[in-house]
Amino acid sequence: MVSRYYSVDEAIENGAAPVPISCDKTGDVQCTIDIMDHLLACEATWHKGHSLAQTVFSCIYLLRPERTSSHALLHSYSRIIRATCKAVVSVVSDARTHEEEDLFTMAYGLPLIGEDEKCLSMLNAVEETIARQLRACKAPSSGRKVIEDLEPLQNNLALEEGYCKAILCRLRFRKHFYHVLMCLKRPQGRGLQLARKHISSCLSELEIIRKSTEVLRSNDYGTHNCGEDKTTASGRRPVGFDASINTRLSAPTPPRSIKILSWSEAVEYFVKLLHDLDIICSFSLDASLEGILQFMVQFQKSHPDLVSRAHLQTLLIQDGKLYGRDPIFAVIAKAAGLPEIVRNHDIQNGECLVHLGQLVINLLKILSTNAAWQRRKLGKIVQDWRVIHIQLELALRQEMGEESGISADQNGRGDILRQILIWVEEQTFWIASRFLMLGFELELYSPGEYCMVYWYIYVVLIKLAERMHHKMSFTNATAKLKGKKKKGSTKDMSRDFQIPASVLFLQSYICLAEGLTMMLAALKNERMLSQSPSPFNSDHERFIQHFELLQKAGVPDHISYQSFEESTKNARFSTLVMYNYFKDAQRIAKEVKNSFPNDPERQSELRRIEQVAEHNSIALTVLCRLGSLDSSLKVSFDFSHHPYFATAVVKRS
Amino acid sequence: METATSDAEEEKKATFEASEIEYASYGGEHHLPLIMGLVDHELSEPYSIFTYRYFVYLWPQLSFLAFHKGKCVGTVVCKMGEHRSTYRGYIAMLVVIKPYRGKGIATELVSRSIRVMKESGCEEVTLEAEVTNKGALALYGRLGFIRAKRLFRYYLNGVDAFRLKLLFPQRELHPSLVMMAHNDASQRHASNRPLEEFPEQQERDCSSMGESVSNK
Repeated sequence: MVSRYYSVDEAIENGAAPVPISCDKTGDVQCTIDIMDHLLACEATWHKGHSLAQTVFSCIYLLRPERTSSHALLHSYSRIIRATCKAVVSVVSDARTHEEEDLFTMAYGLPLIGEDEKCLSMLNAVEETIARQLRACKAPSSGRKVIEDLEPLQNNLALEEGYCKAILCRLRFRKHFYHVLMCLKRPQGRGLQLARKHISSCLSELEIIRKSTEVLRSNDYGTHNCGEDKTTASGRRPVGFDASINTRLSAPTPPRSIKILSWSEAVEYFVKLLHDLDIICSFSLDASLEGILQFMVQFQKSHPDLVSRAHLQTLLIQDGKLYGRDPIFAVIAKAAGLPEIVRNHDIQNGECLVHLGQLVINLLKILSTNAAWQRRKLGKIVQDWRVIHIQLELALRQEMGEESGISADQNGRGDILRQILIWVEEQTFWIASRFLMLGFELELYSPGEYCMVYWYIYVVLIKLAERMHHKMSFTNATAKLKGKKKKGSTKDMSRDFQIPASVLFLQSYICLAEGLTMMLAALKNERMLSQSPSPFNSDHERFIQHFELLQKAGVPDHISYQSFEESTKNARFSTLVMYNYFKDAQRIAKEVKNSFPNDPERQSELRRIEQVAEHNSIALTVLCRLGSLDSSLKVSFDFSHHPYFATAVVKRS
Repeated sequence: METATSDAEEEKKATFEASEIEYASYGGEHHLPLIMGLVDHELSEPYSIFTYRYFVYLWPQLSFLAFHKGKCVGTVVCKMGEHRSTYRGYIAMLVVIKPYRGKGIATELVSRSIRVMKESGCEEVTLEAEVTNKGALALYGRLGFIRAKRLFRYYLNGVDAFRLKLLFPQRELHPSLVMMAHNDASQRHASNRPLEEFPEQQERDCSSMGESVSNK
C-alpha cells in the first residue's frame, strides 16, 4: 500500500481535508453527511476485525481534532466518534476477548484521549440548533411565525427539511449509541433497562437514516460511486479520508489495503449489533449458573461479534463476582444444589474451592469468545477440571477421615464437598460435550469421521446424564431427609423414580448419537460409504488426534479407539433393524416437550431433535430393507435439521 | 499458510498421460527460479527470495518439482523440525499451474514430501488452508489429514483457516498397525508413479515462513 502523502500535515497542506469542507453551505452539509456515513462504514469495518488506524482514523479530520473547532457539526460529530471508539476499545480491552482479532485494540499514536464528558453536551447543542432549523423550515407551511435570527442549515430551501432530518437522525443515533455504551458500563447491570431504551432509539434512528438515502441521492453534487460498495448514503466519495495516511501506525505486518464495508452493510451490522446487545440486556440478572451457561450457548448461535461478546463478559464477571454482585462460591453452591445457608461457609476459603471459583470465571470468559477460540480453550480446560476433581476427592477423603464417628451433619464440610464434587463431574462432562459439538459448527469433522465423533459424544453424554441425575437425586434426597424430619411425609416417594426432564432431554440426544453411530458403522461395515484408505495413517490416528485432549484428561475414563472398534465392528443393518434408536429419540423428545412450557429455546430444540430422529428413522428403515441388496443406493449426511446431529439422505444414483 | 481459491475457470486443460510427468527433488539453485516463478505467478503477494531460500537451503530433500516435457508445472516446498517436543513436518507451499490441475500432480508432490518427512522421523505433518479451499481440503483429507483447529479470520481478507494435521502411526504403541502398514505398502503404486486419486479442483497452498504466526 503506497502512501499518497508523507504525513497528515502534508495531506492537510494539499487540501485533503478542508475546513469548511465547501464554501457553498449546501455542498458543505452534503459533504458532512458523507463524512458521517463513511465514518459509520469505517467503524463497522473496524468492529469486523481491522485496525482503527486503517478505518475510523483514516479520517484526517479525526486525526487533527482541533482543526474542526470552527465547524460545529463536524467537530461535535468527530468528538462523539472518538469518545465512542474509546469506550469500545476500553470494554474489549477489559474483557480481553479480542482473541485472534488483536488488531482491534491497537490505538497507539491515535488521538483517542479527549474530553469525553463534553462531547455529549456539544452534540446536544448542535442537535438543538438543527432541530430549530427544521422547525423553522417547516414553519411557513404550518402557518407559524419564522424565527428571523436563525440561519437555515444550508442555502437551498427546497432541500432544507431533508438535510435537517438526515443530519438529526445521524446525530441522534450517535448520541443514543454512546448512551448504550455508558449504560452497559454501569456496575452490576444497573444500566441494562435504560440501555434497552437507548437501543430501541438507535434502531429507530437507523431506520430513519436508511430512508434518508432518497433525499441524499436525489441531489447531484460531486462525483458519484454508483457501485454496490458505496460507503455513503448519497453514493458520493467522502472528502477527508486517506486509507494510507497511517501506514506507520498500522498492523505489524506490511499494511495492505482493506475493503471498507459498504454503507448498507454497515447499517446492517449496527442493526445486528444492537439486537445482540438487546438480548444481553434482556437476560435476567437472577438466573442460575446453569441458566447462564445455556444462555451463552444460545447467544453464540447468532454469531455475535466481538463488541457484543465483550459486553456480555464484562457484565457477567466484575471484580471476580458474577454480575459484580454474587460471590463465585455462592454461585457454585447454588448450582450444586446446596442450601443457601452453606453459601457463606468458611470452606470457600480452602485452596481447592478458590481454584474452582477461578475455573468457573475462566469458563464464563471462554464461553464469551468466538467459536474457534472457544473450542480450543474448552479442550484445554477439561484437564484443569479433571485436576480439580481429583483435588476435591482428596479433600473429601481427608474430611471424611476427620468426620468419622461424627453423626451426619447436612452442613458438614464432607457433605458440601461431596455435593460440589458431583457438580464438578457434571460440569466436566458438559465442557467435553460442548467441545465435541462445537466441532460440527466449525466444520472440523469430515464425513468419514462422523461415526467416531458421534460415538464419543454418546459416551460423554451418558456420563453427563448420569452425573446430572446423580446430582439431582442427591439434592432431592438431602431435601427429603430434611423434609422428613419436619413433616414425616412420604408423598414425594413416587417422584424418586421419575427421571428429571433435563435428564430425559439429554437422553434424546444420547439416542440420536447412538443411532447415528450405529447407522454410520453399519454403512461402513456393509461397504456402503465410499471411503478410500489413507496411505499414511488409519482411523486410529485420526481418533487419537480428534480426542487427544479428552483422552489426556481421562474424560471419560477407560475410553480408547479399541472401545470404539469393539462397539461398532459388528454393526449391521440386520441387527439395527431390531432396535431403532431414532424412534426412541423421537418418543422421548415428544414426551419431554411438556416439561418446558416456558422455555421456547428448548421447545425449538426438541422439535429439531424430532425432525432429525424422524428423517433418520425413515432412512434407517429403507437401508435395513434394501441396504446392501441395492448397490445404486447412495447415502449422504447433511445438517439441514440440526447443527450437529446429521440427517441421512438416501438416494439412488 | 496462505491458500488462494478461485472458481472453476475456462482455462485450457493440458492433455497428458500421468507417466509423462517427471518428478524431481530440489536439486540446487537452478531449480529456485522455477519454484519462485510458479509461486509468484499463482500468488497474489510474492514472497521474497529469502523466504524461498530459507526452505530450500535448509530442507532441500523436502521440496519437489513436477515437469512435463521439460516445463515445470508444479512444486511443493516444506520444512520440518522440533515443535513443542514434537518432530513435525510443515507444508509451506504447494502449486500446480492451472492447465495441469485435477490430474493428481499435487497429490503426488505432497505425498513424496510426506514420505521423506516420515522417513526422517517426523511424528506428524501440518499446514494451514483456507476454509473455502475445497480442493486442498479434499486432497489432504484423502491423505489422512484431519482439521485439527479452525483459526478465526486467519487471513487478512477475513477468511478463516483450518490447521490440518496428519499423525503418523506410532510403532511402539501399535504393532498391529505396523503389520497393516506393510501389507498396505505392497498394494500401493511404486514410488515414482502418481497415486490414484479423484479429479482435483484448483488448489494452491502457500505459507509464510514461520509457524509462530499461526500458533496462538
